[in-house]
Amino acid sequence: MKKVLWIASLLLLPLTMNVQAAGGYSIELESANNNIRDQESLKRGAVLFSNYCMACHSLKYMRYNRVARDLGWTDEEVIADMSHGLNSVTEYVMARMEDGVARAVLGSDAPDLSLMARLKGDDYIYTFLRAYHLDDKGEWDNKVLKGTAMPNVLEGIERHASPEEYATVARDITNFLAYAGEPSKVERLDLGWKVIAFLLVLLLLLYLLKREYWRDIKH
Amino acid sequence: MSNQTNESSSGKSSLLGWFDERYPVSSTWNKHVGEYYAPKNFNFWYFFGSLALIVLVNQIVTGIWLTMSYQPSNAEAFNSVEYIMRDVEWGWLLRYLHSTGASAFFIVIYLHMMRALLYGSYKKPRELVWVIGMLLFLVLMGEAFMGYLLPWGQMSFWGAQVIISLFGAIPVIGPDLALWIRGDFVISEVTLNRFFAIHVIAFPLLLVILVFMHLVALHHVGSNNPDGVEIKKLKDDKGIPLDGIRFHPYYSVKDAMGAVFFFILFALVLFYAPEGGGYFIEAPNFEPANPLKTPDHIVPVWYFTPFYAILRAVPDKFLGVVAMGAAVVILFALPWLDRCKVKSIRYRGNSYKVLLTILVISFFVLGFLGTQPSTPLYTKLAQIFTALYFMFFLVLPFTSANEKTKPVPERVT
Repeated sequence: MKKVLWIASLLLLPLTMNVQAAGGYSIELESANNNIRDQESLKRGAVLFSNYCMACHSLKYMRYNRVARDLGWTDEEVIADMSHGLNSVTEYVMARMEDGVARAVLGSDAPDLSLMARLKGDDYIYTFLRAYHLDDKGEWDNKVLKGTAMPNVLEGIERHASPEEYATVARDITNFLAYAGEPSKVERLDLGWKVIAFLLVLLLLLYLLKREYWRDIKH
Repeated sequence: MSNQTNESSSGKSSLLGWFDERYPVSSTWNKHVGEYYAPKNFNFWYFFGSLALIVLVNQIVTGIWLTMSYQPSNAEAFNSVEYIMRDVEWGWLLRYLHSTGASAFFIVIYLHMMRALLYGSYKKPRELVWVIGMLLFLVLMGEAFMGYLLPWGQMSFWGAQVIISLFGAIPVIGPDLALWIRGDFVISEVTLNRFFAIHVIAFPLLLVILVFMHLVALHHVGSNNPDGVEIKKLKDDKGIPLDGIRFHPYYSVKDAMGAVFFFILFALVLFYAPEGGGYFIEAPNFEPANPLKTPDHIVPVWYFTPFYAILRAVPDKFLGVVAMGAAVVILFALPWLDRCKVKSIRYRGNSYKVLLTILVISFFVLGFLGTQPSTPLYTKLAQIFTALYFMFFLVLPFTSANEKTKPVPERVT
């Protein structure tokens, strides 16, 4: 039995180490503390994303109706709140600017953000949104990604909000992007324990069955 | 069970009898399952053979369904994986079953091989069981490598780029060989398409054939056991080994129990950590393949890292490739390198115990070093542990020839 536990813990060893977290950023990433089960936060994040990010950034793997279904909106609500009535619910969440405009104006294409949370982590996005500052020349720069082409789009909110309120804004946007990175994550987490509970019962039954059969065997 | 089959194979009226006259249903079942006598003292280590088979079935079944929605093209490969993750019903589950299954396959196979090292399962008369198993391991490595290109993320692309460029280091034929494998001057849609073809049909077919041969060879010579004694030596008056029990139902119920225990661990990863902490699905792979942008740190998936560390430990590129290849190929020779007559580690001398411990530690340390960026210290460590890894195989023929062994019992304990 000791051996079994030893091997079992060995199998789970990779999970205790996290290579993703090891990023060479110039500042320590702050913990986002977002919760993808918090639908109110996700809805606020979706609206903020629509108003402040979607000019340039797309979520090209997300459809509006999927967002609606997962966040508890009706189809009409998602179009009203996220698309200002401009899109149909089956469309993907695309940026409002034409392709190439961002490159012409800002010098760089705005990346699609569908998988940014999985690529860089939630904490990266949260810290990035809070890391804008004025450099020596009086221009906006970002402590996480120095020289970023992205302007400080949340400047207006940051200026008129308390630090706590602004932290909530950054957290809500982060949360929405974390959701967009893997929309089925909540379903996955909710299914997992049921499967494992079933398997535990099955394991007990098979153990009893095995013990019954093995009564015949003399050791 | 045996009464039933005996009756039915002789009784012409039964359905099974009808089949038995035309196809060896009962005799095949009896040879491989119903009347296959396995030693009664199998321990924990003997679960991994059946688990490997279960994981293979998982990979094939989920692979078939993934193929229904995946598109092997430069423009659509990455998109179609996200389509599977988001728009295909239960697609996320199929994809995670497949990606987690790949890592589980290697965990199970490494433990399965460890069992052979512990109890001398590769020794006479099971040399071919081992050699066929090693062929399976080689094909599995190829299968995993090709499969990793298919999501067409940054690490898929650059990992394949690095590994295929290694063939270019072979003198004379190298550059042409690398070109022939890629089908292009860089990894491209041509490479993606051929890897897809090999991943979904050529290698799976080979795997299934080799698994069949592995089992035929095993059932011909009979299973080894933790005591390393041959149960066929002592039989009762009916010709049944005294220490043997029927595979079915005894080991079928025991293996089913082991399988469910494994499913629980598998489900924990599948549902709660499908990225495996960045080891099973690497974060840079959430960015589409971009030939113009090299990731900061190219790492193969964890199951290749011991061999990758050996490659990097050798300063010369070509010799590095040779060392990496040799690290795998030398395992084929194990039945002949190990000259000790005693099979099980329970009765073997200290020299083997020490050597095996060094081998296992080296494998783990190299596996860790393969995930890290090279630094002078890590390179030095990789060199030391590469030497220790090979030392096992080079010293073993000498130490095993006159090992101080303990007496082996007549019967299993």
